Amino acid sequence: MAERKRLGDTFIRRPLKLPIRLRPTLGVPGLFSTAYGDVGSSIYYALGVVAMSALGLTPAVLMVSGVIFLFTGLTYAEGAAALPEAGGSGAFARRAFNDLASFIASWVLMMDYIVTISISAFSAANYLRYFFPLLGSWPENSIVGVGVVGGLVFINILGIRQSSRLNMTLVLIDILTQVSIAVVGVLFIISLPQLIHNIHWGVAPTTSQLLFGISISMVAYTGIETVANLGSETRQPSKSIPRAVILVFFTVIALYAFLSMTALSAYPVHQSADGKWVTDLTQKYLEDPIMGITYAMPANIQPILSFWVAILAVTILIIATNAGLLGVSRLAYFMGQRQQLPLVISHVSSRSRVPINAILMFAVVACVLILTGKVTLLVDLYAFGAMLAYTAAHVSIIALRVKEPNLPRPFKIPLSIRIRQKEIPITALIGGLATITTWFIVVYTHHIGRIVGFAWIGVGLVIYILYRRSKHQPIIGLGETKPRT
Amino acid sequence: MKFLRILVPISGEEADKEAIELACKMAKEAKGKVYVVYVIQVKRSLPLDAELEPETRKAEEVLSRAEEVADEQDYKIETDLIQTREAGPAIIDEVMERNADLILMGMSYRKRFGQFDLGETIPYILKNAPCRVLLLRQPLL
Repeated sequence: MAERKRLGDTFIRRPLKLPIRLRPTLGVPGLFSTAYGDVGSSIYYALGVVAMSALGLTPAVLMVSGVIFLFTGLTYAEGAAALPEAGGSGAFARRAFNDLASFIASWVLMMDYIVTISISAFSAANYLRYFFPLLGSWPENSIVGVGVVGGLVFINILGIRQSSRLNMTLVLIDILTQVSIAVVGVLFIISLPQLIHNIHWGVAPTTSQLLFGISISMVAYTGIETVANLGSETRQPSKSIPRAVILVFFTVIALYAFLSMTALSAYPVHQSADGKWVTDLTQKYLEDPIMGITYAMPANIQPILSFWVAILAVTILIIATNAGLLGVSRLAYFMGQRQQLPLVISHVSSRSRVPINAILMFAVVACVLILTGKVTLLVDLYAFGAMLAYTAAHVSIIALRVKEPNLPRPFKIPLSIRIRQKEIPITALIGGLATITTWFIVVYTHHIGRIVGFAWIGVGLVIYILYRRSKHQPIIGLGETKPRT
Repeated sequence: MKFLRILVPISGEEADKEAIELACKMAKEAKGKVYVVYVIQVKRSLPLDAELEPETRKAEEVLSRAEEVADEQDYKIETDLIQTREAGPAIIDEVMERNADLILMGMSYRKRFGQFDLGETIPYILKNAPCRVLLLRQPLL
């Protein structure tokens, strides 16, 4: 306690050195709305790119990847409840293995956040073409996308507080809108005979197209890491996190099922003049597929619905872009604190109290990706990074069950099998196998994604190794955690 | 009316002094406890457990001054430092955890865009607090 000042005394104020208590404030509604806000925005771009490959099997492919999403979500739920840190799969890998594993998991996740920024901003620009038809083509849509990123970077650097209540309201409106589209789809558009007719086994899609479609379909669930990142901010994480994961899963699965069936009923698979099997959904609306669905709605509601969806999509996608920026920022801080990234990148500005350098640096990378104008490249990269990050999460959770069976786990994945007296969660086993298999498919089938993905990892490893050596920290083992920003 | 557990959220403003003084006087009557909390709000671009040295230093100075004010009233207070995303819900959680029967907040007279402004935290607390709330607004200058 500070001493009372008396006349004539020399006064020395001793710091209190109070322990800081963290006050998590998120409950299930807040966690659900934040997670859904990230995941649910993906349909606005994912439906088009998945349908381009999976054609008539798009609904089935989205359901299969939805199950992988659920298994991965449960893995994140257990990890986030046990290790409430901001690093997600990077934090899990660090605890289970070492800093090198943590770095790789975090670095590929960083790439995913960058891709999320790019693809969301680019898609927002494409949905704006409803109001400004010029934005339907490159480079105009890319330029606007870069503008979206620039504006959000500016807002984040200024430190303008973001309203969680606004976020929850927009998520609710988004769900209601998508439910409305799904209901109209069920009543007027969805045709089971047409959906069955869309499938030409082995021909449309071919096996390689189907595998390609499955490998990129996880982009429809962009944002699942949010659950892990928010673990430390959640009240009663043992209950809130799994409940939010399951709630997001069922909401997203149901909406994706009906929206994709509506889309493929309205735009059947057919052979084009050059003999290729296509759907007009992707021929005309690759970058704004939900707008394509609205154009197929009954004439008396189509104009208002298209107008409304255009506004909503742009809003939701801008929020998703910002979520990517926040993810980059937090992850950079996490990596800097564990001395995986140079502090000059993760340093928190004394003025704005945000990691400005990280935000600027990775936003520039995101803008470069936007300027390519290739949503397929972005999806390739996302799939490359996400499958590795998710595999790291699954493997880490399994490893922790083996190495630290007594680690307090406020939430523990049910359904385990016993292997050498260790309880191994079945969903993590299956999920891990599925994600690593999908990663190999991505590497095998996605030419550009493979090159850029491995180049990204290579660059990251060079930075990591040089930095660790300069700080006399082990490359593989656990280094010190820096306590200061 | 006697209050046994009074929570006083402070933020380093001038109004804190009067709020703490009043809380101590009220608590003395009932031999109650005074909890003074300082809330650090962390931006969403950082993890909740981010180490924010300037904010922490400021918080410690503010809480240190709070203890001096209490000393002058010859009363002991408990101080606490909380880090959270949003101050309002965190303060309400503190109230629930400590089973406080009064929240006493000081605020200066402030305007925003020419209009008297309560900010975000005070309306949230007024709306959601399970106990009585006493808002001590400083006089117009």
